[in-house]
Parts: sequence; C-alpha cells; structure tokens
Amino acid sequence: MQKFISSSPAETEQIAAEFAKTLRGGEVLAFRGGLGMGKTCFTRGLAAGLGIDPAEVSSPTFALVNEYRGGRLPLWHFDMYRVESFDALYSTGFFDYLDLGGVLALEWSENIDGALPEGTIYITFERLGDESRSITIEGGAGK
Amino acid sequence: MKIFVLDTSSKAASAAVWEDGHLLADCWQNTGRTHSVTSLPMAENLLADCSRTLEEMDALAVTAGPGSFTGLRIGMAMIKGMGFALGKPCIPLSTLEGLAWNLRGWPGLICPVMDARVGQVYTALFRWENGKMHRLMDDCAIAADELREHLAEYGAEPKILVGDGAMLCYNKFEGQLENLSMAPDHLLHQRAGAMAELAASLLAEGKTVSAGELAPVYLRLPQAERELKLRQQKGE
Repeated sequence: MQKFISSSPAETEQIAAEFAKTLRGGEVLAFRGGLGMGKTCFTRGLAAGLGIDPAEVSSPTFALVNEYRGGRLPLWHFDMYRVESFDALYSTGFFDYLDLGGVLALEWSENIDGALPEGTIYITFERLGDESRSITIEGGAGK
Repeated sequence: MKIFVLDTSSKAASAAVWEDGHLLADCWQNTGRTHSVTSLPMAENLLADCSRTLEEMDALAVTAGPGSFTGLRIGMAMIKGMGFALGKPCIPLSTLEGLAWNLRGWPGLICPVMDARVGQVYTALFRWENGKMHRLMDDCAIAADELREHLAEYGAEPKILVGDGAMLCYNKFEGQLENLSMAPDHLLHQRAGAMAELAASLLAEGKTVSAGELAPVYLRLPQAERELKLRQQKGE
C-alpha cells in the first residue's frame, strides 16, 4: 500500500504521472471516493505519465468510456456512475476492454465492485481540506 | 450452394467459404480482439484468394451470440451491411453450437463453454450421434459450479470441454467429474470453417432471416449470483 498527501490538483496530477510510470498494461485502476475528489484530475496525470496529451482527458459521464491513445499504453477512462446491473456493465464493453492490454481507469468503481477482476488496483481519495486529499493506492497483482 | 461464414464473437476471428458440400477456404486468427480492424480485410482477402465474390454467395452466416458485446456487434454490423446491400439471406448461428461443431464426430458429450466473467459461463451441451449433432441443453449463462452439476448427471460418459472457458472449467472440475477432457488447442476456439457445415444444414432447412431481422443474441447474466455494488459499511 502507498499513501500520498496532495495539497492541490496540480500535485494530484504529479502523483498520478509518477504512478503511471509503473504501469505495464492490463491494469484495472478502481477509483473510490465521491464527487470533487480529484478522480478526473488523477486520470489527467495518468495520461500525462503515459505520454498522452492530458488535454484530451474529460469526464466520461455521458460517453461511459473515453479512449485516449497516442501514449505508451492506451488508457480507457470509464464512468460507472449510471451502471446498475451486470447487463448494463456488459453493454459498456467493459469485459472486452480487460483483454486489450491497456490501462482501465474506473470512476465510481464502487458500482461494479462485484465485477472487478483479481489484481485490481484500488485508488482511494479522501478529503483532508478544501484542496488537500489523501490518495491511497493498494491491491494489484502482488497484493 | 455457397455460403460465407464469419465469426468475431470472442477472442479469435475467422471467416470461411462453403461451396457445394465442402469447405472451400477458411482463415482464422487469434491475435487479440481487434476485430473491427482485422475482420473486413480478412473477409476480403479470403474471398479474393479463392476467386469468389460475396455476390455469388447464396447466404451469409454469422455467430449471433452469446459472446463478447463488442465482438458480436462487429460481426453483426458486417453481415447486416453485406446482406442488406446485396439482398442476401442471413443465417444466425449459436456461438456455442458452432463451437460444438469443432468436435463433430467426437464420441461423447460435447460441452462448449465460454468465459462470461464474474464466475459465469455461457454453455450448452451436445452429443454427436448417428451422424447428427443433438442438442441436450439450451444456450445459457450459469455459474461454473452449476455446469459441473449438470455434467455430473452423465456419470462415466466421456465429456469434452471446448471454448475459451474450457481451461477455466477443466481446472475447476478436474477430479470431480469422470472422463473429462479438453479440446486440443487448435480446436479450442470458434472457427468459421467448422461452423460452415452447420450453416449449410440451417440453410437447407430454410432457417434464414433477412439482414434487417438479423439480431445479436445476448444471454442475460444471472443477477442474483453476486452483488455488483460495493455494500456500504455498517454505520454509514
């Protein structure tokens, strides 16, 4: 388990960009934490760390999944907020993306907890102050 | 009688041309799920290599499900498009029945099994008898343990698992079922070439639909098996 304290969105992006360097493809990153915790910000940092233009990153609330290419690994950014059933999850294509060798970043992963594969990396955001957050990274193949 | 057969339902992609009672040509690859990129050139090259055209086909066959959500939609879109443009009848195939045809002639129970994730499998059960494939169980999505219970009812009859869930089930069931085996690697995945004879028999029976009627068959995953949402901790 790794724990980080971020005092600003810029710092959250930096933490994510550093973390992105450890990714090899095939990882599932399950974000936990409510609204305004910096999940999209963290994803922007992931993109930057993978060599993807971070300006491409936007919230996938309406698309369900955004695909960012052009980096070292493809990054798929899901929003599971509206996913209420296994059938709904199936029709996002989530299970298909698991085999493609890229990185999956899941916002509102709490909604699909029962479908997360073995080896999922959990990234938990907690609010410390207006701008400061604690970010805990745990799980993964090594557990 | 000429049939073009396509499968993009799962990890592998394949295409085949069937002509007058025989497999004329086929192509298969298992190089990652990029069917949207590979399938059209595969179909085009296969037809060109055997000097055939889609226009001369009597029907177009495609695996309609179960399978990967994206994969099924790619196959459907291709065959619907071709069928609509050329006015060809379409033959929807059960992916599981198609898998069973990999083992056409095998003496015993043929059990196609595909990994549906979250502990579930898409499965069915067949027996090859007197030169025909007999279905013993409808296509369904069930927990792997439930499949083991179904197979146990057949006692010592030889059983063979085929499909991308075969290894998962073989490892789970080993030692708990009598005479259980697994299809060899080259017969493990869906193959359009193996399904072509099934497509031909369906065409002979008139089991075709128009391109407009062709639709994917998604099997619903049972909902009660496990919770999808993270349960709130006590006190929250």
